[in-house]
Formats: sequence, C-alpha cells, structure tokens
Amino acid sequence: MNSLYMPKDSFIHNLDPRTKMIFVAFVVLSSFILNDPALQLLFLASLFPLVVAAKLVKPYLISMQFLLLFAVLIMTVHGIYNPIGVTPVFEIFGGLTFKYESMVYASVMSFRILVIGTAAVLFVMSTHPSDMASALVKWKVPHSFAFILLSTFQIIPIIAREAKIVMEAQQARCLDVKGSLIQRVKNLIPIFAPLFIITFMKVHQLSYVLECRAFSREGTKTSLRDTKIGSKDYAFLLGIVVFLTFEIYLQIFLSGSFNLTTNGLLTYSLIGTWAVFALMIAKFVIKRVQGFVGGMADA
Amino acid sequence: MLNNRKAIEVYGLNFQYPDTKESALKDINFSVDYGEILGIIGPTGAGKSTLAMCINGLVPQVIQGDLVGEVFVKGMDVNEGNVAKMSEHVGFVFQEPENQLSQMTVEEEVAFGIGNLGVPREQMEGRIKDALKQVGLTGFEKRSPLALSGGQQQRLAIASVLAMNPTILIMDEPTSMLDPKGKNEVYDVLKSLKERGMTGIIIDHEVERIAEYCDKVLVLSEGQIQMFGPPNEVFSKIEHLHQLTMHAPQVTECLHQFNEQFNKDVKLSTNVEESARFLENAYKSI
Ligand SMILES: Nc1ncnc2c1ncn2[C@@H]1O[C@H](COP(=O)(O)OP(=O)(O)O)[C@@H](O)[C@H]1O
Ligand SMILES: [Mg+2]
Repeated sequence: MNSLYMPKDSFIHNLDPRTKMIFVAFVVLSSFILNDPALQLLFLASLFPLVVAAKLVKPYLISMQFLLLFAVLIMTVHGIYNPIGVTPVFEIFGGLTFKYESMVYASVMSFRILVIGTAAVLFVMSTHPSDMASALVKWKVPHSFAFILLSTFQIIPIIAREAKIVMEAQQARCLDVKGSLIQRVKNLIPIFAPLFIITFMKVHQLSYVLECRAFSREGTKTSLRDTKIGSKDYAFLLGIVVFLTFEIYLQIFLSGSFNLTTNGLLTYSLIGTWAVFALMIAKFVIKRVQGFVGGMADA
Repeated sequence: MLNNRKAIEVYGLNFQYPDTKESALKDINFSVDYGEILGIIGPTGAGKSTLAMCINGLVPQVIQGDLVGEVFVKGMDVNEGNVAKMSEHVGFVFQEPENQLSQMTVEEEVAFGIGNLGVPREQMEGRIKDALKQVGLTGFEKRSPLALSGGQQQRLAIASVLAMNPTILIMDEPTSMLDPKGKNEVYDVLKSLKERGMTGIIIDHEVERIAEYCDKVLVLSEGQIQMFGPPNEVFSKIEHLHQLTMHAPQVTECLHQFNEQFNKDVKLSTNVEESARFLENAYKSI
C-alpha cells in the first residue's frame, strides 16, 4: 500500500535483494552489449518468463504501458526525422518516410528503455524495501544511507497526502487549479512552497525521534529481517554469468555474420507499438465516455 | 549511591535558545521519585517541551543553546553521556504520531529502536510481542504504520519506546493530536504503565486527566516553576492558575464557582466523589 512492493510467494521474491540488484545491473549492461533491435527484442522476450515466475504479469503490463508511450514517441519521431537515416523503408501519408538507419537507432533506444524498465519493475515489485535496506547494509553501505533510502519509500505517501491537503486548502483560498496551462504552472508555487516546508519540518522532527531511538549509537546494530544468499541465488547468478558470456560471444564473433534486423521486423515492431498505443487510447476514451454517460444517468 | 538518588533530579536549570532575548527555562529545581508520574502543565510557550527534552539530553546536545545547571537521571549526569546512550533509560514520545514512524511495518517500527541497541534477533521477537501487548496492538505486526488510526499510531510510538526497556517514560502532549477515543487509548496505556511502576513525565493540557493520573504536578509559566506538588494542592490554588490563563479540572472549577456565588469556603478537590460530598453538605446549609 505504501510502496510499489507486491508481496507474492515466488522464486523471484525469495531471491536475496543483492542477487536482484546484480540482476538489474546485468540487464542494464546487456541492453548496451546487445546493440541490435532484434537481439534486444529477443532479450526482452526472454525476460518475460521471469515476470511470469514472479506472478507479476498484470501489474507489470500496467506499468509497461507508460514506458510504451516513450517507445511510441521515440520510434515515430526518430524514425521519420532522425538525420542518420538514408534508406527509405516505407512511406505514410504526406510524404513522411521511415528510414532504415533511423528506425534501427530508434528501436534500439526504445527497446533498451523497455528492457531496463522490465528489470526495474521486477526488482521493485518483488523486493521488500526493508530487505533492500538490510541487504545494502550487508554490502557495507552505511546504515544512515540505507535508512534514507528506506524512509524515502515511507515518506512518499505522506507527502502525497499532504499535497492533497495543501491543494484543497489553497483551492479554498480561491487558487484556480483548473485554469489555463500557464496559470496552472504558476499555481505550482503556492502548492509546492508549503509542501516543501511541511516535509522539511516532518523530516526535522523525525531526526529528533531517531536520536531518541538510539540511531546514532555506535556499535553493531541488528535488524528484524534477515536476508541470506542461498543456493537459489547462486543458481540464478550462474545463469546470469552464462547468459552474459553468450551475449559477449554473440556480439564479438557472430555480429555481421547474420542479420535478424530486417525491414519487416522494424516495421512490425513500429506498427505493434502503435497498435498497443491505439488500444490504450481507445480504452481511455471508452472509460471517459462511460463516466460521462454514467454521470448523465446519475443526474 | 544509586539507592539514595531519585529517578530524575534537576538542579538550577537555566536554558536559553540561540538568538533569543529571554531564557526558555529559569532556575528550575525539582525531582521525581521512582514509580512516580509527574504532570507538567502550563500555557503554550511556557517551556514545557524544552524542559522535557533537557531530561534526555536532546536539549542541549541536538537542539542547541546555553544550558546552566545539572540534570541527573538515575544518578547519571545526562550531559556526560549522549542522547543515544540515554535512550536506554529514558523513552521519549512526541506530540505528532505520524512523524515518529519511519518503518514499513508495525513490527519493524518496534524493532528499529532495539535493533539500534544491538539486541540479537532471537530476543527481538519476544520484546516486540511484549511491547505490542502492553499497548494493546497485538495482531497488528504486519500492518503498515500509516494504515493505523492516530491513537494506534501513538500507541505504536509508545511500544517502540517501551521495547527499549526504559526506566523513565516522557510523553510530550501525546494526545493533543488525537480524537477523544485516541486520547482514551493512550491514557489507558499510561494507567497500566503506572500500575507496573514505570516512572513518567507527561505534558498535557487536559487537567482532568493530569489530576487523575499524576502523583505530582508541575506548573510552568514563562520558563519558571509556579507551583509544584500533589494535584490536590496545586489545583486548589485556583486563582493563581487563572492568573496564568490556566484552569483547574471541571469539578474544582465548579466548587470554586459555588464558593464565589454563594460566598462560601468549601474545600476545593479534584476528586468527583469528594467534591460531590463537599458540595452536598454546603448546599444544604444555604
Ligand atoms: N528551536 C527553538 N529556537 C528558538 N526558540 C525556541 C525554540 N523552540 C522553542 N523556542 C522558544 O522557547 C519557548 C518555550 O518553548 P516550548 O518549550 O516549546 O514551550 P511549550 O512546549 O511549553 O509550548 C518559547 O518561547 C519558544 O518560542
Ligand atoms: Mg510543547
């Protein structure tokens, strides 16, 4: 409720947070090693079973929608306008042409976002924030840093609620939050200034509380939650190493000898993102219309 | 040496915040015995919070300023140690429930303080269970502290402090942010702690509760002790309280008004039963 963590009983959830952090680093690294849209797409597909294993398919797809927005934007705008493109692939209305080189560039970029996004979502949704903090402490990260990280998770919902209160209070003082765009941007100041002060005061007070709970005491500290690296983690890490070796082998010895990135693949992935995007918009519109009709019916 | 020392001893305490003209505390002297509950009352800005924070060393070690005088807790000079060290002896509960919570679940919140003390994990479970039981939050272990009511949050803050096994508990306006139900919950906890022989200091504006639960009352105004003694004695000096823009418990006020109106001299009391008896006798003779 107050974090993105989704408690489930799964193989991924039971991994040590440190293993999962290494996994995220591995995915980021891979997304740069695999500098080819087809390979990245394959990589993305090979990550999906992990999402299934973590029993997080639905929340994963929901959060992916937002990243897909970026993908659509990048693939469309770069595909048409990026100046590195020379070879035309296909033309849409108005003489706008998608070019091969720019499409490759745009696809690599957007698939990289999706791949890293997948790993990040997997990590955040399957790791209890407190476990992450205690795992970091085991990596000799200072206690206070781990605490800052953890309390950030804790304070976000508090700030969100405080923001709502401030907003309502300012609205009651005739602050127009529904005016033109410029007006709305201007209005951020009377909302953020008090919000900042409130947050500052809360954190300040918390520092006294921490002092009274012996936070600055020297010597060893213990924690309720324990994380252990076990055989599961070693197996998982081994898998990562194998995969990484394979990637590097692929990139060094086989690059150029075959080419999966065809015009067809690029075009279909572009159209695919468009289709999903269109679906999202349709869903949004239907919801709005339903709400509207519902509202009318109520009235 | 420990035996003839009191739980809390304050001698000639003066404190001044930086960049202020007047001292927040002026020549404060008092002591609290083991097992006693002291209530501190006074108008806003009287220096109640400052005084409370002097007792665990938060003032002047964390909140800085000029301090003169001595504060002893269980015979130890507070300012020779530090706040973290003192936290094993003095628990401190603040006014705002939510600002005292920093962990993801109730049990972790309680575990945080004892974890800082280095209590081994095997002992933690038991101490968490005991502390939650004392404040009536058994069964809430896995909940998020943010999903609790104000009264529950404040009790959680108390449990987190109790788990650290302090001898003395200080509560600075623990109920002023709470609704009547929350206030009752917190005072019920205080009552059971008193029965277990906990030494405590409570700051509150609700004089009825102070009169009921405290063994001694200290009235503070503009940084000075105005009165110090058992509740009955302090609240009998009702005119002095009125001068300080404060009031006595409602029963005492009632007796006082009766005296004023009918020009009588009924003895003032804070106890409902006693007051009723006094009033009945006096009323018959009108
Ligand atoms: N951090 C501070 N810096 C300067 N002055 C302060 C600070 N905190 C409190 N004071 C002043 O000290 C006096 C006593 O404050 P406080 O102990 O909070 O009173 P109370 O708790 O009785 O309302 C007040 O006049 C207040 O303005
Ligand atoms: Mg105060």
